[in-house]
Amino acid sequence: MISLKRNGNPLLDRNSRFMEKYSIFIILVAMLIICSLINENFLSVNNLTNVARQLAVITILAYGAMMLIIAGQIDLSVGSVLALAGVLSVSFYKSTGSLLGAVIVGILVGVACNIVNAVMVTNFKVPAFIATLAMMTMARGAALLYTKGQNILQLGDYVVIGQGAVMGIPIPILILVVVTVIIWYILRHTRHGRSLYAIGGNMEAAIASGINVKRELYKVYIINGVLVGLAGVVFMSRVNAGLPNGAVGYELEAITAAIVGGTSFSGGIGTTMGTLAGSFIIGTLNNIMNLSGIDSYVQQIVKGVIIALAVIYDIRSKNKKTRKLIIKNEG
Amino acid sequence: MVKRVLSLILTTVLLGAMLVACGGGSSSSSSSGGSSSADSSSSSSSSDSTQKTYRVAFIARAQADSFAAWLANEMRAAASQYPDITLDVFDSQANDDRENSLIENAIANKYDGIIVQANNAEAQRPYIEQIVKAGIPAIATNPKVDGIEGLSTIDADPYEQGAVNAREAVNQIPENANVVVLMGPPSNFHSDERRRAWEEEFFAKRPDVTILAEDHANWNKDEAMWLMEDWVIAHDKIDAIISMNDNMAAGALEVVKDDPRFQDILVYGVDGTAEAVLLIKEGKMTSTSLQSAIDLAKLNMEAIYKLMTGEEKEIHEAVPAPLINASNVDEYIELFKSLGQIQ
Repeated sequence: MISLKRNGNPLLDRNSRFMEKYSIFIILVAMLIICSLINENFLSVNNLTNVARQLAVITILAYGAMMLIIAGQIDLSVGSVLALAGVLSVSFYKSTGSLLGAVIVGILVGVACNIVNAVMVTNFKVPAFIATLAMMTMARGAALLYTKGQNILQLGDYVVIGQGAVMGIPIPILILVVVTVIIWYILRHTRHGRSLYAIGGNMEAAIASGINVKRELYKVYIINGVLVGLAGVVFMSRVNAGLPNGAVGYELEAITAAIVGGTSFSGGIGTTMGTLAGSFIIGTLNNIMNLSGIDSYVQQIVKGVIIALAVIYDIRSKNKKTRKLIIKNEG
Repeated sequence: MVKRVLSLILTTVLLGAMLVACGGGSSSSSSSGGSSSADSSSSSSSSDSTQKTYRVAFIARAQADSFAAWLANEMRAAASQYPDITLDVFDSQANDDRENSLIENAIANKYDGIIVQANNAEAQRPYIEQIVKAGIPAIATNPKVDGIEGLSTIDADPYEQGAVNAREAVNQIPENANVVVLMGPPSNFHSDERRRAWEEEFFAKRPDVTILAEDHANWNKDEAMWLMEDWVIAHDKIDAIISMNDNMAAGALEVVKDDPRFQDILVYGVDGTAEAVLLIKEGKMTSTSLQSAIDLAKLNMEAIYKLMTGEEKEIHEAVPAPLINASNVDEYIELFKSLGQIQ
């Protein structure tokens, strides 16, 4: 049970196992501590709430990215579909005054675009990278065409989703918490979630064990679509405008958060809490650099370096764990 | 046997097509020059040559940012006022390479007039020179490109757009104020010129003012919001938001609009968008200057028409940058209502 390889000390080994499993959270806590030392404003309730609220949209997108990458897929269309879903949702609200209807419209648009992605990937065997790249340009073009390139203004009460609060907690944060719990549950405790790991880990074995790959892929793209649509609603209501060219590049932010959080591009690996931590690591970095007034060009360099370091640390600690497992089984 | 019949039919068809094309080609004279009498469309406004249709290409910088999209829409509207102009709009998607290729294509496709909205004046310079060299009437608009002989220009002066706000701000921004500055994309000509205007017309005259933070929000509302959210945590007293465009000003304002600590904050932008005009009416934004796509488009069409008909050889026009503030905001509200951008 306890691997005795390194130096035979079980206490040290328990510690190093803890380090391996929770490496990304250790990085996050370390960052929080360092940031609070760098800037006195960092640890205030205001600021932390600020950061969480800013991260809500990207983290929701990151969950979709995580699930897709676990299953060996990817979605590059996320930013564009978010914009399309958002502007259509806003437009619906302005014509009907129904907030619930507007949210549903946003989600449906996200789902519709992702069903197209799923068709391209599963029925036509287009690699996910290419299929979602195509959707990226299609959705952006559609959003710009629909709005004639202009921002939709005068949103009225639509903004309550992105700017309102319930019992002092900003609504985007509440939405994030609920989504986190749901995604965690799906991944850990449903057959669909487990099948994603199987499909991404070893497609042949998954098929051999009776998993209907096509159906599970459709499901995961649809879940992604719900997340993207919801993110679009939150985004537009935070910004108080229907921005057809909003959220450009968000797909990369979402994927980065998932990867920093321990999701592996090779498929079959990733956790909800890890992705949440990954998103907060990047968001905290942005935040502390803005608070400290660091030049924006320097910020970009620093961000790239930290992301690379975080992922290297994470991969090395996973490799150590794998090596130990192999040694233990051989010895 | 079947194969032979098929190939015979195919060859006949091909030969026939070639003969028809050649025959058709030689009987109609070249399209410019106006000597063709075969064209029987009834457009009537050409002067001496019969029904000549002028093909104009507008190479837009990008159709994805709201001002550029507005300009493209207005160009189409302005062109529709001329029955003998057909306008084709090309989207460079904010990409120098693409814009340069589009310029080359327009020259190769022998457009009668080419209007270029450069993404980066220096990157497009050699290609715009090619247009002039090819003898095609050319206009550089928004921004203009200096120093090319034979090139016409129509532009609002971005320095003036920033300056009209900055000059007022000298008397409006309180003493020892703390301000934040929002800029467009790095090394963007309009952003840099507006910033230069603020530097020379305001910051040089008000050394007591401190810039707490300055960053690029790339013309975008959401990016400006993100920056401002962090800035208000870092600095609890901000007296003014100085922005190089209205989108970014509106984004920063979104963060503090309900915050009693910032209810007297002064906010400056450029463009005169519908959103800014509404904010000025509500008393939340201080001033902006209009960059009228309508005027730009109208002047461009007038100019290219005169150039193509030979009425003028070179035209240079500056579009004014009127200041919009609480005293005159109502007329602009009416303007945007008539455009349908405000309900």
